[in-house]
Amino acid sequence: MAMDPSEVEFLAEKEHVNIIPNFSQDTIFLISGDIGPFSAGLPVSVPLWLAVNLKQRQKCRVVPPDWMNLEVLQEKKQAEMDSRFFTEMPSPFYIEITQLLLQCATDDIPRADEIRTLIKDIWDLRIAKLRSSIDVFIKSEESHAKLNFLTLMEINTVREFLTKGLNHMHQLRSNLTGSGATQSSQFL
Amino acid sequence: MAAHLDELRTVNNYFDLDDILASQEKIPCVFNIAVEGLGYLDQSTNDPNISVGTKLELPFWLAKYLNRDARGIVAVETPKNYREGYRQILAADPSVVDLHRLGPHFYLFGGKLAILNLPDNQDVLNTLLQTFQGRFRRIMDGAQNALHSDLTSQTDMLDESELNLFAAGQRGLVGFQQWESRESEKLSTSTMVVNQRKRKWVSSNGDAGD
Repeated sequence: MAMDPSEVEFLAEKEHVNIIPNFSQDTIFLISGDIGPFSAGLPVSVPLWLAVNLKQRQKCRVVPPDWMNLEVLQEKKQAEMDSRFFTEMPSPFYIEITQLLLQCATDDIPRADEIRTLIKDIWDLRIAKLRSSIDVFIKSEESHAKLNFLTLMEINTVREFLTKGLNHMHQLRSNLTGSGATQSSQFL
Repeated sequence: MAAHLDELRTVNNYFDLDDILASQEKIPCVFNIAVEGLGYLDQSTNDPNISVGTKLELPFWLAKYLNRDARGIVAVETPKNYREGYRQILAADPSVVDLHRLGPHFYLFGGKLAILNLPDNQDVLNTLLQTFQGRFRRIMDGAQNALHSDLTSQTDMLDESELNLFAAGQRGLVGFQQWESRESEKLSTSTMVVNQRKRKWVSSNGDAGD
């Protein structure tokens, strides 16, 4: 069954972002890998969850990812509009990262509001595309489809619906091919 | 894996409530032989027996066993909602038909008819598949767009299995919306605790009588 969006967010928090700490500390050794060393004023790459935590305690400044600026995102949006297919996103967790960083580090990201709107536009475009391709998929009675560059969060919003829909169609089709009828007749 | 297979095997789910309800749908039957003492089933006569040629609507689960071969106790006919006239309506525009009125378990019951070997079996099954394909987009758009509004206008034309699908789409949408508005990270009181206004004190040693 579908994951909760907060679980998807949990996975996204493993992505690395750059921060500029305002404190110094030796390397932290964690099972998932070493983080640091931190020295005040020098950029360092840390997982998103740590960046959010440090930012909330005002221990660092977040360096926005390369793709999180207006020009790149506007290009991305245009490319998404022009293409029939899904285009590759700068990060597989673009919506989660935007959401988390814009929530806690608004002051570190230039023109945060416009970025929020752009990301939401891109999301809406992609979801609309996803929906029409699902419809084509169902109508054409195909058994498999290939969709590149879909992100986890996007898949997750339609997963339960799509699997239920396909199950239902499978049932109607197996009625037709007779496998359903033979199965029922076992109980006669 | 096993759970997944179970889900696919909905054709004859013994304990599936929807399956049970669908098998109670009525199907028109004609009696091939006279049955003594069952005249009360036919409300239209006072005859204590059922005579040859009597037409009655019997539930599917009963008709299925009375119609086991060509010389069975009854002969079955295609139910009205699945006959040519309705099939043409469904072929014309499936998305405006009120499937809930045609039988709340339209697809499930239609699929069950297959084992009766009716002459227009194949046409019925084809119609079911095409109907679902035709209505799918509408259900999907309805489920993924409507939020916090009155859903009855979207759902009152849906068959039970479509309603199920609609609810799944809604869960996906609502889950995402809650995440987006940062509702999902807030701790909230369980609805059970909210609804239960006052808890009654029950003595632990059982003699609360005095």
